[in-house]
Amino acid sequence: MPGGGDPGDVRQSEITLMNQVEIADEIEATIDTLIETWTEAVRDDPRIESDATLSKPELIDHVPAILHEICALIRNNETPEVRNSQEARANVYVRFHQGYKGRDLIRELSLLRITLLDHLLDISSDETLAPDPESSHNAARIFNLYLDEEMRYAISVYGTAPSSPERSSSDSSS
Amino acid sequence: MISQEEFDRFVNDYNEDYKLLLTRASKRHYDCLITSFMVLKDFYNMIQVMYDTGGYTFKDMPYPFSFRADDVLLRELGFDDVGIGNIFGFLHFVKETQGMEFEACLEAGTLAMCARVR
Repeated sequence: MPGGGDPGDVRQSEITLMNQVEIADEIEATIDTLIETWTEAVRDDPRIESDATLSKPELIDHVPAILHEICALIRNNETPEVRNSQEARANVYVRFHQGYKGRDLIRELSLLRITLLDHLLDISSDETLAPDPESSHNAARIFNLYLDEEMRYAISVYGTAPSSPERSSSDSSS
Repeated sequence: MISQEEFDRFVNDYNEDYKLLLTRASKRHYDCLITSFMVLKDFYNMIQVMYDTGGYTFKDMPYPFSFRADDVLLRELGFDDVGIGNIFGFLHFVKETQGMEFEACLEAGTLAMCARVR
């Protein structure tokens, strides 16, 4: 084509793509909706039993703080690790003391992962938002690594704690 | 090499110190409290890194360092409504006096330290 390439290239260059800071801002602005979606998913999941006795505030508990912490990591492009996942550890502590089963906590975190990745896909397919692919990929990577960090901690705690509620209940029923 | 018994003592010391700092906050003794929390956060991170690298178990779990969202934990630790109000009041106090959130202060290090120890 004389005088230039595909006209699509021109249009692409005129779009300002969302960077990681903007992705974090967008997620933070929709935290209430994300929590609502996640809460419904947990309540509707027949494989999760431990939530039955929890009130809605008890179920939600640290999840908003977790999302704020994840957004801060996305904004600063930091890799989640032991020192910057405080809310994840707090969530494991509270769930453990609420008598939550380990497998239910893992499933609950899996549903949170799906909620976040689905939302990221929604952002990506919205032409008015249009995150750049690298930022989108980095955000997804941070979601995954953060939740993996929490699962790693949960598995260690549930697997080795002598006073695990899960163990106590199975001990008493045997 | 640190033994499991020494590790248990670290966790106990951390839990005692954490409760002490929260007790101070619950009584509105906010002076130099950010600095104390900064030091305690390093201690907490050290325990978590040791635990994460393997070889140790928790005889007692360390209290989570974050208490921002944790009404449930604070009640479990024995704080009443007034005490919990004062603990959350500390977070507002930090924002007002330092111009940033508590967590940002902890990251800011010496900039947010108490003038007496800076």
